[in-house]
Amino acid sequence: MNRPPFFIGETMEHALEMIVDKRSLHYFFSLFQKGVGIKISTGGNLRDLLTLTLKIPSDYVENRIQTIFLDGKAVDNPEEAFVREGSTLALSAAMPGLVGATLRRSGAFSSLRRAITLSEEEEPGPKKEGRIILKLFNLLVPELAPSLLIRGVLLKGNELNKFLEGLPDLFWGDCREAFYMGRRVESPFQATDLVVERDTLTLLKVVSGR
Amino acid sequence: MDKILRINLGAEGGPKFSTGPVGEYAGLGGRALTSAVVAKEVPPTCHPLGADNKLIIAPGLLSGTTAAMSGRLSVGCKSPLTGGIKEANAGGQASQVLARLGYAAIILEGKPREGTLYKIFINKDGIKIEADNSLKGLPNYDLIEKMKAQYGDKIACLSIGPAGEMKLGAASIACTDMELRPTRHAGRGGVGAVMGSKGVKVIILDDTGKTMRSPKEVERFKEAQKAWVKGLQSHPVTGQGLPAYGTNVLTNILNEAGGYPTYNFKQGRFDGAAKISGETQAELETSRGGLATHGCHRGCIIRCSGTYNDKDGHFLTKQPEYETVWAHGGNCGIDDLDAIAQIDFLDDNYGLDTIEMGATIGVAMEAGLLKFGDAQGAIGLIKEVGQGTPLGRILGSGAAVTGRVFGVERVPVVKGQAMPAYDPRAVQGIGVTYATTTQGADHTAGYAVTANIMNVGGQVDPLKPEGQIDLSRNLQIVTAAVDSTGMCLFVAFATLDQPETFQALIDMINAFYGLNLTADDVVALGKSVLKNERDFNTRAGFTSKDDRLPEFFQKEKLEPHKVTFQVKDEELDQVFNW
Repeated sequence: MNRPPFFIGETMEHALEMIVDKRSLHYFFSLFQKGVGIKISTGGNLRDLLTLTLKIPSDYVENRIQTIFLDGKAVDNPEEAFVREGSTLALSAAMPGLVGATLRRSGAFSSLRRAITLSEEEEPGPKKEGRIILKLFNLLVPELAPSLLIRGVLLKGNELNKFLEGLPDLFWGDCREAFYMGRRVESPFQATDLVVERDTLTLLKVVSGR
Repeated sequence: MDKILRINLGAEGGPKFSTGPVGEYAGLGGRALTSAVVAKEVPPTCHPLGADNKLIIAPGLLSGTTAAMSGRLSVGCKSPLTGGIKEANAGGQASQVLARLGYAAIILEGKPREGTLYKIFINKDGIKIEADNSLKGLPNYDLIEKMKAQYGDKIACLSIGPAGEMKLGAASIACTDMELRPTRHAGRGGVGAVMGSKGVKVIILDDTGKTMRSPKEVERFKEAQKAWVKGLQSHPVTGQGLPAYGTNVLTNILNEAGGYPTYNFKQGRFDGAAKISGETQAELETSRGGLATHGCHRGCIIRCSGTYNDKDGHFLTKQPEYETVWAHGGNCGIDDLDAIAQIDFLDDNYGLDTIEMGATIGVAMEAGLLKFGDAQGAIGLIKEVGQGTPLGRILGSGAAVTGRVFGVERVPVVKGQAMPAYDPRAVQGIGVTYATTTQGADHTAGYAVTANIMNVGGQVDPLKPEGQIDLSRNLQIVTAAVDSTGMCLFVAFATLDQPETFQALIDMINAFYGLNLTADDVVALGKSVLKNERDFNTRAGFTSKDDRLPEFFQKEKLEPHKVTFQVKDEELDQVFNW
C-alpha cells in the first residue's frame, strides 16, 4: 500500500511515517531531549529559522522561548545568531534558579555567564541546504514537538531502532498505521526489523489523530 | 511569635528551659534572627561541637500566616563544616507550626555531660524534655514512625539521624513534610552535628488548638496576599515550569550550557543527562503512580516537589531535587534515576546533606575508591556512613576531609563546604558568590532576586565585566533579606520579572506587622544580616584568602567551552566593599 495523504512535502528514501492516537504522542517527546536532525537552509539568522522555516509564531519566539543555546553558547539576540551546517540548537522556556535566570536571553544577569555567551565573529556563509540538531526542553516539548513531528525529524537508524524497541505495548495499541519507505508496516516487530542500517539517516514523521 | 525558647542542655541536674520575650531581636525572623543570635551570643573561636555553640531554629517573619510560600525554616549556628557562621534552611511543616505556637526561635545551648539523648515536645500547653535513649541510632524514617505512634499524626518534627548523632560534618536536620515524612532537610554546613552535640534527637511540635497568626491590618494583608498569589501563578517559572518538572528541570539546561559539573568537576557535560533530567523524572514518576507536582508544606502553591515510587509503585523517596540528582548523578557519572532516588532516601534516612555527600563520593571516585558510574558502589558508601564504619565517618565528614584523607587535588569546596551543581567556570558570576559568601560554597546565597529592580548597589550594566561583582553583591544582600521572611526562594523568579509581585511581598509584611517598610528598608535588612555574618567570620579567623575558589578552577579548562575561572582575586575582594 502506498503512503497515505497525511504526509506532505519531501520524503527521504528511508522514512518511517506513523499515525498514532494523540494520547500516545508523548512517547516521541524524549527524542527531543537528546536532539533530532532537521533539514533547514543554513546561513540565515536564528530568528528567521524559527519563525520562517519552522513556522513558530513570532510572539511565541519572543515570549515563550526564553533560553537558547547555539552550539552550547547562550544566545541573547536570535537575529544576531547564525545557523551553520551541523549546528546544535537547543530551546527552552524560562528556567528557575540564579543560573536559570542567568542563562535567559538578554536577562538582567547575563554578565554572570559572559564566558559562554555567543559572540558571532565570522560571516554565516552563503545560504544552502543543510542539517542541524534541534533539542527541545521542558515546557516547549509538548508545545512544539507535535508540529515538528508532522514536518519530520531525522534520526540515525540505530537511534530510531532503539527508540522503537523501547516503546511499550500500550503505544503499539494506539498506533493506527505505520509506513516504512511508503510500505505499510504490519506489526511493531516488523518496524524494528526494518530500520536496521546504523548510520543511515531516517526521516520520522508522525501524525496524531484523536 | 513574640517569645524565644531557650533550652540549656548542659544545666545542672539535666536540661532546663526558659521562655522569654524576643527583646533585642524583635522584628527579626529566619536568617536575620539566627545570624544575629550567633553573631552576638556565640564566641567565634569556640569549638562548633562544644558547649559554647548554640543552635538557633527560627521561622520566617511570615511563617504561620496564610501567606503563600511562607514555610521556610532557618537553622543557624557556628558550622562544624566551615568553622564559620551558618544558616541552613528547609521547607516542610515545622516553620509554620513553630510560628503558630508563638515562638520566634528555639535556641539550644550548652552540652549534656553524658551521652543521653533527648526528645523535646512542644505544644500550646508548654514544653516537655525527656531523656529517651531508646531512640539512639534510629534513622529518620523509623524515628518519625515512633513519634507518630506516640504523639499522633498532627505533629511536625525536627530530627537527626545517625549522622547527626555521630556529629559528622555532612549531617542535616530533617523536617517532616505534609505526609509526616522526614524529607525536607536543613542540609548544609553540618547543622545536624550541632544538634547531635546538644544531645537532642528530635523536637516534636504540635500546634493543635492554635490558629493561623493574624495580621494587624486584615484587609490590607488579604489584598497583598491576593496579588502575591496571582503573581506567582501567572509566571511561567513558578506557575508552570517548576510545578511540571521540579527543580531538576535544570539538568538539560546546565548540560547544554556546558556548565554541568561531571565526573567530579572534570568536564561540563554528561552523556547521560537526558536519562536523569527533570523531564524524564516527571514522566517516570507519573507512570509509576507517583506525583510530579506536590508541595513540601501547606501553603505552597508552586509545588516543585513530588513523590518518587519504585518499580512496583511503592513510595521510595520524595522527588529528588536538581542538586541531589546532579550530586549523586552526573557528578558521579551515574545515569540511573532509581539508584539516585535510593541514595536520596538513604541520605534523608541517615540525615545527610545530599550536595555534600554527592560531592564527597565524587572525590572518593577521583581517589579510586570506586569507579565513576558505579551506582551500587555509591549506595554502599552511603550505607557505610549510616553504619558509622571508619570509612563511613571519613566520608560523612564531607568532601574536604575526604580529599585530604585520600590525597585528592580536585576537591570542589569553598570554606570547607562542597560546591553545588553549577560549574563556576561556565557561569563565572556564580563563582563570585561561591567564593565570597559567608556560608561556604552555596548556590542559594545570591539568588536571582530583584536586585536590578531595586538597584541595591546602584544601576548595574549587565554587559560590563564588573557587572558580575556588583550583581553578586546585590544578590547576596537581597537574598539575605528574603531568607529572613520565611519565603521559599523560588518566589524569586516571579518577583524578578514582576515588580508588582515583589511589592506584594513587601505589602504583606507591612500589613502583617503594621509597618511601612520600603524596598530600601529591605536592602538595609539584608546588609545588616551580611554584616553580622562577615563580622562573625572575621572574628573566627577568616580572611580574604578564604574568599577564593580552589586552584584547579583557574588552571583546568572546562570542556566543552575550554574556559577557566577568570575573576581576579582583587575583584573578589570588592564584593563586600559597600
